[in-house]
Amino acid sequence: MSTPSLTAPGPGGTGTGARGGAGYRVTYPRVLRSEWSKLWSLRSTWYSLAAVVVLTAGIGLAVGATFTDGGGDGPQDPVEVTLLGLNFGLLILPVLGILTTAGEWSTGTVRATMAAVPRRLPVLWAKAAALGAVSFVLMLATALATFPLAQAFLADTPIAAGLGDPGVARALVTTAAGASLITVLGVAAGALLRSIPASIGAFVGVLMVLPNVAPLLPYEWVGDAVAYTPLAAMEPLAAAHPPPDLPTVGAALVSIAVWAAAALAAAALRLRRSDV
Amino acid sequence: MTIEARGLTKRYGEKTAVDDLTFTVRPGTVTGFLGPNGAGKSTTMRLITGLDAPTHGSVTVNGRPYDRHPAPLAEVGALLEARSVHTGRSAYKHLLALALTHGIPRARVEEVIEAVGLAGAARRRAGGFSLGMGQRLGIAAALLADPAVVVLDEPVNGLDPEGVLWIRGLLKDLAAQGRTVFVSSHLMSEMALTAEHLVVVGRGRLLADTTVAEFVRSAGRDEVSLRSPQAGRLRELLAGPGVEVASDAPGELRVRGVGAEDIGLTAAAHGVPLFELTPHRVSLEEAFMELTRDAVEYHAPAPGRTEEIAA
Repeated sequence: MSTPSLTAPGPGGTGTGARGGAGYRVTYPRVLRSEWSKLWSLRSTWYSLAAVVVLTAGIGLAVGATFTDGGGDGPQDPVEVTLLGLNFGLLILPVLGILTTAGEWSTGTVRATMAAVPRRLPVLWAKAAALGAVSFVLMLATALATFPLAQAFLADTPIAAGLGDPGVARALVTTAAGASLITVLGVAAGALLRSIPASIGAFVGVLMVLPNVAPLLPYEWVGDAVAYTPLAAMEPLAAAHPPPDLPTVGAALVSIAVWAAAALAAAALRLRRSDV
Repeated sequence: MTIEARGLTKRYGEKTAVDDLTFTVRPGTVTGFLGPNGAGKSTTMRLITGLDAPTHGSVTVNGRPYDRHPAPLAEVGALLEARSVHTGRSAYKHLLALALTHGIPRARVEEVIEAVGLAGAARRRAGGFSLGMGQRLGIAAALLADPAVVVLDEPVNGLDPEGVLWIRGLLKDLAAQGRTVFVSSHLMSEMALTAEHLVVVGRGRLLADTTVAEFVRSAGRDEVSLRSPQAGRLRELLAGPGVEVASDAPGELRVRGVGAEDIGLTAAAHGVPLFELTPHRVSLEEAFMELTRDAVEYHAPAPGRTEEIAA
């Protein structure tokens, strides 16, 4: 087999790397474009995002269609009821985040990635930005579509509401923002732990199991603190009228952002300090 | 356009993988990086490309540490462990993602895919690739940005004979174009065919930094084995400067530095009977194994012992 085109004939292609001086350069926007391309070139991304949409919309419609005002202990918030399927999204999206980072280590791609971007941190920021943006847009679009469809069944119930009613539009936007930040938390967890099972285990353990177990401790502050863990903090974000005993919408959003930022910082530190 | 290692040392916990390596790889020739498995070759290559940070010392490429280059892929193209590809991503998308980080045009991606012979498989998921196809994809990635320095870790692994020939030709072409070509192998015979210069390591230490021609010359010293009832006496008679005599069993000698004819004449002149006198050509592979014998990480049992176990 001949190899002429491998070695780039033409001006400057004399094998001295001269073409490298002619425009090849790693920049933040280019790393972002690369990570954007990587995200969409895997089937798992498409499957995961489709599952988020289908489950959120499907469960929203099912709940709307079968809602009976029993006055029980079910959710009594016009937005929260229609977005019950969001709970699946809040599992699928961070797992997708974990796959985009920890998956690089499990498959070995990380060596190619970090050889191309040896400063490493731009890769982490780009992954977080790309998937964070996708999650926000997807959740917002899904919520905006699901809410009115589910509400179509709820016209004569106490939780009937429209997009223009107080708190509704805000709840849809903060839901998308919170989901986006939790997805970024998954991206960071995967980069920090570098293993898909370990990251998913940590995510489930710290964010799902611990908040349920910790309040059993005989300290009141533990229960208060648990309300500020990311998944718990989604509750006020997804409610048009958050109950007064929950953190405020602002406090909930800030606490999720702090979790995501702290995880990103830890991941960045490990990325800088240790071999890949 | 050089790779310069200065006192390069890498420890993983207690284990020293690379131990105070100092060498320079120059442009325009193929430099072979030779050593048994576990000698620290792959670690050295990971240090060159900035994937691992040295514990001590430094390694620079074209005068700077790898991560200080604005377009690292245009400085060093590296084929590291064969699998640096997401199994779910196609070869084209894998290369495109690398190209996008540097602003390399899509046409160049198509070009390298064509050149490594993967055009027919470029849109398939890389998880289904054979070892040889994976190697070709790794080489496409290494050459994507037309780098001045090419670093390849065991590039012929898993390739069929046609692929091996292709790699040999490619390495020579790259060097002829003035590039720095640094290729690791654990096979001396492969290096003898392609490399002009050799950096030999064992247990992370530098064992030789020499030309292939010089290595062959020093390795070309023949060995003569003989059996004699007066082996001890003959040993004394043969002793002299530049002569090495070893014995594996009573009545048997292995002699270097004296030809079979001279041994025969010496024995005859002193009336020492000879039962056997056999010259052996030392192959390059044997010379390499001898050089690295004490540095081999994992010893297999000697052939005789294997038979005992089998029997």
